[in-house]
Amino acid sequence: MKIAVMQFPGTNCEYECLVSVKEVGMVGELFRWNRPAAELSAFDGFIVPGGWSYADRIRAGAIASKEPVMDALREEAARGKPIIGICNGFQILVESGLLPGTSGSGKVEMALAQNVMISNKKIVRRGYYVDWVNIKHDASPRRCSGSFSIDKGELLQIPIAHGEGNLVTMEKGLIQKLNDEGQVVFRYCDSRGRTIPEFPVNVNGSTENIAGICNPEGNVLGMMPHPERAFFSWQLPPHDPRKHQKGAVGPGRKIFESMKHFIEVRA
Amino acid sequence: MSRINLRVWLIIPDAEAATVKNTLIRRMGYKDILADVKKERLFSIDVDSGDPEVLARAFAKELVNENKESHKVQIDTLKFEEAYVPVKVALHIEDGEAISTRDRLRNRLGFKNVRAVEKATIWKLYLKGENQERVAKEIAEGLLINPHKDSYEILSRPKMPA
Repeated sequence: MKIAVMQFPGTNCEYECLVSVKEVGMVGELFRWNRPAAELSAFDGFIVPGGWSYADRIRAGAIASKEPVMDALREEAARGKPIIGICNGFQILVESGLLPGTSGSGKVEMALAQNVMISNKKIVRRGYYVDWVNIKHDASPRRCSGSFSIDKGELLQIPIAHGEGNLVTMEKGLIQKLNDEGQVVFRYCDSRGRTIPEFPVNVNGSTENIAGICNPEGNVLGMMPHPERAFFSWQLPPHDPRKHQKGAVGPGRKIFESMKHFIEVRA
Repeated sequence: MSRINLRVWLIIPDAEAATVKNTLIRRMGYKDILADVKKERLFSIDVDSGDPEVLARAFAKELVNENKESHKVQIDTLKFEEAYVPVKVALHIEDGEAISTRDRLRNRLGFKNVRAVEKATIWKLYLKGENQERVAKEIAEGLLINPHKDSYEILSRPKMPA
């Protein structure tokens, strides 16, 4: 089971993703953006990690989405192979039309716009934000490659670090369609699972607290939080009791285990 | 009411414009059409009193970093040179940076006559051949904007002599 961890100029989470892939028993390999794109077909799954591809020039993910390797990735997605885009990886998948992918034509259907933090109907903060957040798995188990082994309603505490994660769309009916089709995979919530639409629960102003979505087929997942930064228990924040528990693991591990499980079942 | 247009550009190499040019030429097939890409930031500041020329100089001190940028002021009108197609890109969702700039000018720096600030990027597309505005539109929609948050406008430029 061989996973390509994509590396664009400016990607900065590829090594953590590679470690996470290997820790759950898959074979991982960094795949530079300028390698022959056809070599992607030798892999069983793909991770597009976070960072600042092309320094976020024009807007996050826009330049990377034009690379030939993304055409190859689109072909692999059409073959049903799993792709997980994390943070900037999610932005790249959106800009390339792979997510939410409801049009089937590669059309860009949404944007991950600049964060706007709203509280009591007032904007209290804008821009780049780093914190541990709670997300609720809102899809059914087995609906999506990256949450294949996660129960519906399960809460995960995972960090975010981004300036552009505010999901917006001008596409009429898109959000309803994503809800109806079970394509909303993760939502920002509080520690009790309540999806309060205001900051600090809705950490970036995203429509309906959406933190992660998948394509209609479920093999492509994009999420703003960084599961590779909550993979090991020692990465967890000091207030988390699992941090010093023997044998404990971080909640982010479930994303990578899900990907492995998805590939096993699909095979 | 006057509108002070502050056009600001880098005097050091503009890596973002270079990346856009590179992407258009190497990845999007504009090699034979596109000669160059340059970029400006545009602040359009509405004031309800005061001498716009004097105010423009004061705003430039706050909004332009002269170590790396240069600028030009145009009051009320916005005119561009004929060598390129100017494409104005701005957010159609709320622009937090523009609001912050307005609040900074009004509340922290005391320019109470500032009514509104709009911020945009002007992409200057140096194109060869016919149908330049059509090509500029194609480039705007293909790369320069995400329609779910940005809008664009091909701005007028002086007519070429027949």
